[in-house]
Amino acid sequence: MHIPDGFLSTPVWATLDVVSAPAVAWVARRAQRDTQDHRIPLLGVMGAFVFAAQMVNFPVGPGTSGHLVGGALLAIVLGPAAASLVLTAILVLQALIFQDGGVLALGANVFNMALVGVAAGYLPYRLLADRSRSGAIFAAGSLSVMTSACLALGQLLISGVPMMGGVLWASLGLFLVSALMEGAITVAAVRAIERLNPAWVAGPRPASSRTLAGVALAALLLVVVGTLIASALPDGIQRLTGQGVDSLGWPQRTMGGLAGIAMIFALCYLGGKLKSRRRSA
Amino acid sequence: MHHLVIDRWSRGSSPLHQRDPRAKLAALLVFLIVLSTTRPAAQAAFAGYAVLLFLAANLAGLPIGGLIGRAALVLPFSATFALLTWWSGDSLRALSLAEKSFLSGMAALLLVGTTPLTGWTAALESWRVPRMLILVIQFVYRYLFVIAEQAQRMRWAALCRGSHKGSKTGSFRLAAGLVGVLFARSWQRADGIYHAMLARGFRGRFVPAAPVPFRSSDAVFFFTCLAGCLAVRILL
Repeated sequence: MHIPDGFLSTPVWATLDVVSAPAVAWVARRAQRDTQDHRIPLLGVMGAFVFAAQMVNFPVGPGTSGHLVGGALLAIVLGPAAASLVLTAILVLQALIFQDGGVLALGANVFNMALVGVAAGYLPYRLLADRSRSGAIFAAGSLSVMTSACLALGQLLISGVPMMGGVLWASLGLFLVSALMEGAITVAAVRAIERLNPAWVAGPRPASSRTLAGVALAALLLVVVGTLIASALPDGIQRLTGQGVDSLGWPQRTMGGLAGIAMIFALCYLGGKLKSRRRSA
Repeated sequence: MHHLVIDRWSRGSSPLHQRDPRAKLAALLVFLIVLSTTRPAAQAAFAGYAVLLFLAANLAGLPIGGLIGRAALVLPFSATFALLTWWSGDSLRALSLAEKSFLSGMAALLLVGTTPLTGWTAALESWRVPRMLILVIQFVYRYLFVIAEQAQRMRWAALCRGSHKGSKTGSFRLAAGLVGVLFARSWQRADGIYHAMLARGFRGRFVPAAPVPFRSSDAVFFFTCLAGCLAVRILL
């Protein structure tokens, strides 16, 4: 789901542009480090391949057909950093030349699809690949599409694009269907590629830290679900405290926020201490 | 399959084509930011922006009809959301959603319609956008049509062999096979490209083109755009 310009409120697009720019720079540096010379044209051609592969229709259900979205496929074939970079390049071209997604909203679209979408596709693949390969690829495809779509929906809601309850549920259902489709298509496509040459699909790197990947995936899903819930129920906190937060002055609100951050920091610090002590024991 | 009409447009020689891509890119950003912060109630301002874009398109000698047609590609998406907004009773906001996305699309088209890809990627590069990203953008654009054409031919070939007649699972697997073969051909093509690059003296990095000076006429152009956008935003 490419968000065009004019839909996101200024704070939302500005924040996401500011977040995505350094993230893309980091991804580019990583991709450059991991990439040998001969892979530079490969990254570009793979981007063109994803564009073209989206033209191939997969029949699903009566009278409907879907197509590959490709984020998870790229992450599986090229690795996460290169996949993010290729998707970013595709999104830039789509925004400027194909009128698919806005220019100011580019930060949001890159964040949803190229950064978080690829991470949400790569992490389950890395976690599950040695247990059930097809299951891992299916999870990669579904989660990557579902995550991007939910993030886009949350950003639209935060920006104040009104959606009644029914519409919200209908679009979530639609996302779920397309996520499952993407999962099935990704499995079929990766299997077909492997049949031609198994070396093209490199297995995930040896899981150096499985827990880290698990925690990262959990955090990612929490953020996505949290964004969606927070944007659908913006008055949740007010309901919890029983009074409008806005009625407090800004010093109280700031202090409250700082205290919350300090508490979370303390919790994480304690958790880290405990874990490191157990490991050294 | 024909290549993009934008490529043809961007090779013109109007005053707008000759401006420095950096000036045009900056002007685009100014226009988009001003547009995005315009309140939905200021309908006159939207008309003003449309007049600005119309003037620019006229100056560039681009066909207005073609511009509108291509910019209308955003309308299905925005019209859906505009309708939702309409139902929830905010008709002004609904109208402004459609207008904003349409005008933004027009503005982006004006940039790429007057600047070749190498121009605006050079501008991005001078703004410190990672070189690797620029390279990938250029390669994707270069091979987009080549590989899309290949995909199209493969689809037709599959149809000729009766791919639409089989069972659901059969045609699903056939589509997956198409994607697999397309992938294999793309991979081999990338290898070929790399070897061709080596044969032409590629040593692992690209030599950047000599920087083009930013002339005073470019600065005048940018400030004219800035003044025009701000005038519409504040006065209307």
